[in-house]
Amino acid sequence: MAKNENAQNFEELCAAYVLGALTREEKESFEMLLTQASDEQKQFYNDMEVIAAEMALLYPELTPSPSVKQQLIDMAWASVNSSNGANVHYLSRFRYAVAASVAFMLVSIGLLFQTQNLNDDLSDQLALIDLQQNRIEILETEVERKEELLTILEARDVDLILMDGLEVNPSGYGKVVWDKDNGQALLQVANIPSVPTAKEYQLWFVVNNQPISAGVFAVKNPAQDNFFKISEFQQGGTGAFAITLEPEGGSPQPTGDMYLLGSM
Amino acid sequence: MLFFILSTIGKFLTQNNSRDRDLIRRIASKEPEALSMLYDHYNRLLFGLLKSILKKKEEAEDILQEVFTTIWEKADQFDAERGTAYTWIVSLTRNKAIDRLRSKVYKEQKKQSTSLNDDDVFHPLYSEENNPLENTILSDRAKRVYNALQNLSEKQRSVIQVAYFDGLSQSEISDEYDIPLGTVKTRMRDGMIKLRELLAQEMV
Repeated sequence: MAKNENAQNFEELCAAYVLGALTREEKESFEMLLTQASDEQKQFYNDMEVIAAEMALLYPELTPSPSVKQQLIDMAWASVNSSNGANVHYLSRFRYAVAASVAFMLVSIGLLFQTQNLNDDLSDQLALIDLQQNRIEILETEVERKEELLTILEARDVDLILMDGLEVNPSGYGKVVWDKDNGQALLQVANIPSVPTAKEYQLWFVVNNQPISAGVFAVKNPAQDNFFKISEFQQGGTGAFAITLEPEGGSPQPTGDMYLLGSM
Repeated sequence: MLFFILSTIGKFLTQNNSRDRDLIRRIASKEPEALSMLYDHYNRLLFGLLKSILKKKEEAEDILQEVFTTIWEKADQFDAERGTAYTWIVSLTRNKAIDRLRSKVYKEQKKQSTSLNDDDVFHPLYSEENNPLENTILSDRAKRVYNALQNLSEKQRSVIQVAYFDGLSQSEISDEYDIPLGTVKTRMRDGMIKLRELLAQEMV
């Protein structure tokens, strides 16, 4: 009786196995059972397997995409050609998707770092360009100023007034190149100290003991600040030039120490 | 006598069995040309099988490629004494299809699976629209199987059909159609044994 039950149980499992109707656990159990099966049971299993395979003929035939075969044959040739003899495994879409995701993540991280580095480099380069641009503007301004000064020197008729240092700053000296026709002058100073905070030098034209302001200028770097242009200086006659230290913006009348003085 | 006849069905009906065995032997020797030829012989049949079970073309093509990759890698494990190459290849294909069908990805789809009266379900044997006898020219082998299935009782045929063509397990059939599990097992066993007898008669 028990033998019949076992046989029936084997046949039930076998029929379900070949039809694909067992769960994973049941399938594994049957495969274990099959290893211990009698010859008769093994024959029964073979018959069931043949019948199940024959049933596949009832499926309608369909044509897969040509790429399936192409990938398969490529895989086979790659396997044959691999020099170390290692197997070349087909990546299913799922595995491929996982591998591609990991690769994509790694590439993304790499690109992120690379982008960050490029951004940093770009910022540095932009800062450098700004710095260079400022420097160019300064130099252009300087060239423009020098050209204006040269224009004064190129005038046909100019007066040259030499100025000497006074008691406050005896080593100082200076010159005024005055283009009366065009109402402008070039002032050159040397060896005078840089101006204190809120102070500026003021150039005076003294005629008939009356000081007339010719403009203010600041010497912040005595080694560089040597030349100044005096504009709109429409004066006539003969007199003297003097330079005093005044509050920033200049004074109506001289109030501070006199640094340079020279007569025409 | 009966067992002998049935065990030789595959060999007898598979006219190209010796050809397949030779191809498998060459594949085991790593000849890509042999793999290409075997693919040409079986790709349409197997793809139809996979498409019917998995429904999605991409999934079916994916498994088709896995099947032939497995054949390439494990051709040396094919035992010609145990059965035909055809049986080996079809079993391999169905096993892979069912494994994929029961993977997590397919769980939800499976829940929504089929009813025997559901018009959307593709039943190659029983749908009027897809009746392979009416729409395609079946081989003699397929006709024999079809006739044998037609001679099963409706109850036996139904459980075999749902298991084979829809990929449902015995437990799922029991739940889905409200049939006791024991009854499902019995109908399946009895139906397959009956099928064996019918096919043996066809051979006599």
